Amino acid sequence: MKSVVNKLISLIITVLVISFVTFIVFSIIPGNAAIAKLGVDASPEQIERLEEEMGLNDPIVLRYGKWLLNALKGDFGESLQYSGTKVSALLSSRLQVTLVLSLLSMGLILLFSFPISLLCVRHQGKWVDALLSGLGQVLMAVPAFFLGIMITYLLGLVLHFFKPGAYIPLSENPSRAVLYLLFPAISIALPKISMTVRFLKSSIQGELSQDYVRTARSHGMSQGKVLSAHVLKNALIPVITFLATIIAEIMAGSIVAEQVFSVPGIGRLLITSISARDFPVVQAIVMYITSVVVTAGFVMDILYILVDPRLRRK
Amino acid sequence: MNLVEVNHLSVSFPDDDPYDGIEERDTIIRDVSLSIQKGEVLGLVGESGSGKSMSALSIIRLLKQTARIDGGEILFDGKNLLSLSEKELCDLRGLGISMIFQEPMTSLDPVMKIEPQVAEALRLHFPHMSEAEIHQRVIKVLQDVGLPDPQAICMQYPHELSGGMRQRVMIASALITEPKLLIADEPTTALDVLIQAQILDLLKEIHEKTGISILFISHDLNVIRRLCSRVIVMYHGKIVEEGETLRVLDHPRDEYTKTLVAHTPRVQTRPKDRVLLSMDKVTIYYPPRSFESSLFKKMPLEPYVFDASLTLRENEILGIVGGSGSGKSTIGKVLTGLLGTYDGNIQVFGSDLKEVLKTPERPQMIFQDPGSALNPSRTIGWTLMETLRSGLKARRKNETEKEMKEQILSMLREVDLSEEIYDRYPRELSGGQRQRVCIGQALLYDPEILIADEPVSALDVTVSSQVLRLLLSLQEKRGMSIIFISHDMSIVRSICHRLLVLEKGRIVEEGDTETVFTHPQHPYTRQLIAASML
Repeated sequence: MKSVVNKLISLIITVLVISFVTFIVFSIIPGNAAIAKLGVDASPEQIERLEEEMGLNDPIVLRYGKWLLNALKGDFGESLQYSGTKVSALLSSRLQVTLVLSLLSMGLILLFSFPISLLCVRHQGKWVDALLSGLGQVLMAVPAFFLGIMITYLLGLVLHFFKPGAYIPLSENPSRAVLYLLFPAISIALPKISMTVRFLKSSIQGELSQDYVRTARSHGMSQGKVLSAHVLKNALIPVITFLATIIAEIMAGSIVAEQVFSVPGIGRLLITSISARDFPVVQAIVMYITSVVVTAGFVMDILYILVDPRLRRK
Repeated sequence: MNLVEVNHLSVSFPDDDPYDGIEERDTIIRDVSLSIQKGEVLGLVGESGSGKSMSALSIIRLLKQTARIDGGEILFDGKNLLSLSEKELCDLRGLGISMIFQEPMTSLDPVMKIEPQVAEALRLHFPHMSEAEIHQRVIKVLQDVGLPDPQAICMQYPHELSGGMRQRVMIASALITEPKLLIADEPTTALDVLIQAQILDLLKEIHEKTGISILFISHDLNVIRRLCSRVIVMYHGKIVEEGETLRVLDHPRDEYTKTLVAHTPRVQTRPKDRVLLSMDKVTIYYPPRSFESSLFKKMPLEPYVFDASLTLRENEILGIVGGSGSGKSTIGKVLTGLLGTYDGNIQVFGSDLKEVLKTPERPQMIFQDPGSALNPSRTIGWTLMETLRSGLKARRKNETEKEMKEQILSMLREVDLSEEIYDRYPRELSGGQRQRVCIGQALLYDPEILIADEPVSALDVTVSSQVLRLLLSLQEKRGMSIIFISHDMSIVRSICHRLLVLEKGRIVEEGDTETVFTHPQHPYTRQLIAASML
């Protein structure tokens, strides 16, 4: 229990440090909010006045403090690109889309990785294993955007499973929206499934050579039963940490996938905001991604303790 | 009446070098015939690689998949095990034949509670037995193996138990189905001396009570002598001698058996009066484990060794003995600078240890596991050259490449290795050769003080006495002082001038080796000695 509290504290510290670093980085990059708002043609006096007005001349720690206080209340300021729109309003609808997309991807990864790994281990060295491993290699090597294009082409344009580009917002028709999101989710999940399978496979094979497997066999257990009764749970332990990094990669993957499948999520907003120097929006998105990744790590740590009795200290 | 009969068994493995492209097979067991009578305890001795474990695994048919039985037959209760299907073998394992292994730390599933692991064989072979009866049998068998509070142990995980308790759990899980044969593969080797004796007593008691046949595999002759009525000696996959235990061990006929039973060498030198090293009331701590724990826990550090005082004289071999966790290695770590968190005064050659550690005269160390102490991706020559180079640099000396190589080659000769070793990789060397390289490496610094941390406990008996003989002759020739850390009382008795006994971080006894052995003062010392006098 105490270690959980400790982990929670270090989680909060991590998020704070990252928010401060991003804040500093954005204030160092040339061009500030005032210039972005007024455009390059504005006179230096105009810019200076606006800078004063927006509090951009205050010391950085003060500005960060103000931003943090507001952020804690859920207010990330106003977007520069869509002037007058609150960042939080801009994010909330897109957040839903990205969240659904991420969950779908994660679901696919969990659903397919385990049976495939077991299948490969069972038929190790046979054609099933060779085929799946080969396919996995290819999927890992193909760049994300290209995989997205291939799926759009094959599943969308040739097989007509979905209509590329015709995304229906979640608020209008949730089930059709989810169905559409399934395809970008596949493009995100496929390479991650290959990675997870490879990792899980080697973890299972490593466990199979452990002494406790020999003990169970000496009790009269068949090789197949040892796999499900002993090996799987042990093999899962290292995979848990691996899944935390997978979550981080899903976030990165969704930026590309949203672009390719024209889905209005966080990823697309991030790209347009960066090119428009819409710092408040970028800052908020960075905060969101960081929190997700750090929280995922935290949750995995807890899962670790639940699965591995050796980590439960009294 | 023979329970097991092995006739002309041969087993081979594929050649382990996968790169030479030639399909070859190494024969591990050659034409082995042996029998185990009902109710007998048969010992199987030999060094590692002699095929003793492989013979045992053949009987329970748990050899690796790459192994191939090339010929012979194995009869168990009249049935030929080599003609059984995998399904029939599963029915036999855990019911007719059970096995316990060397590593109690890793032989239990770490994420499963004790109860299901002990009950496993019962559940597999008696699927209709009620849960209540299973639980009752588990409690009974845990009691039989001498575990206190079996109810509580059932709900615990393996890591919550000590090594000795885990081995008891292993024995319980093997005995719960009341098998006819128990194969015990080095069941005490990984355990502490005192625990070793307890487990042997337990096996003896179980044998007397139930009359179970036991095939007991060990490299330790004392253990065999204590438990087995008959013994088989294996060497290079063949049986070289067989007979009554006392006859074989006291009057061996075979040449190999003779080297096996040869006594460990004795120390011949006498220590001088000059004190090289002294520790005065030293308490040793370990630094906090992680950043997080140092951040959140402002607790005082827990000491591992308390108020330790000792002196080491010139040309003396000082033994430090104790069970695992007694802090004996910790002292070695401090003296070589691997651990710097201690309170108290340590003087070496009349100056403070921390100053001496910066000089090339600092104490050198030999470690327990020669397998992992050498860089696997570099040749022996490269590793030794690096050591010599840094040694010369510390002494501000310059030597040409040729002179250095000459020096290393002469060092290799000094530790009884051939010069060819220079271009070899550690994996091409045997354990004994590697330990010689490690000794040579430590000697390249020409140290006056050598710290040997269990230098032979990972080695086979015959190799171990060769390495000890080498250490003694080097000590005599170079006039070194050695701190010899060990858990093996019989070795310590023959090679150390003086002894320190450590229990849970405290020095409980100190004195001349013979005095300590003949008139032990502290009960812990008496226990250690009793355990070694099997």
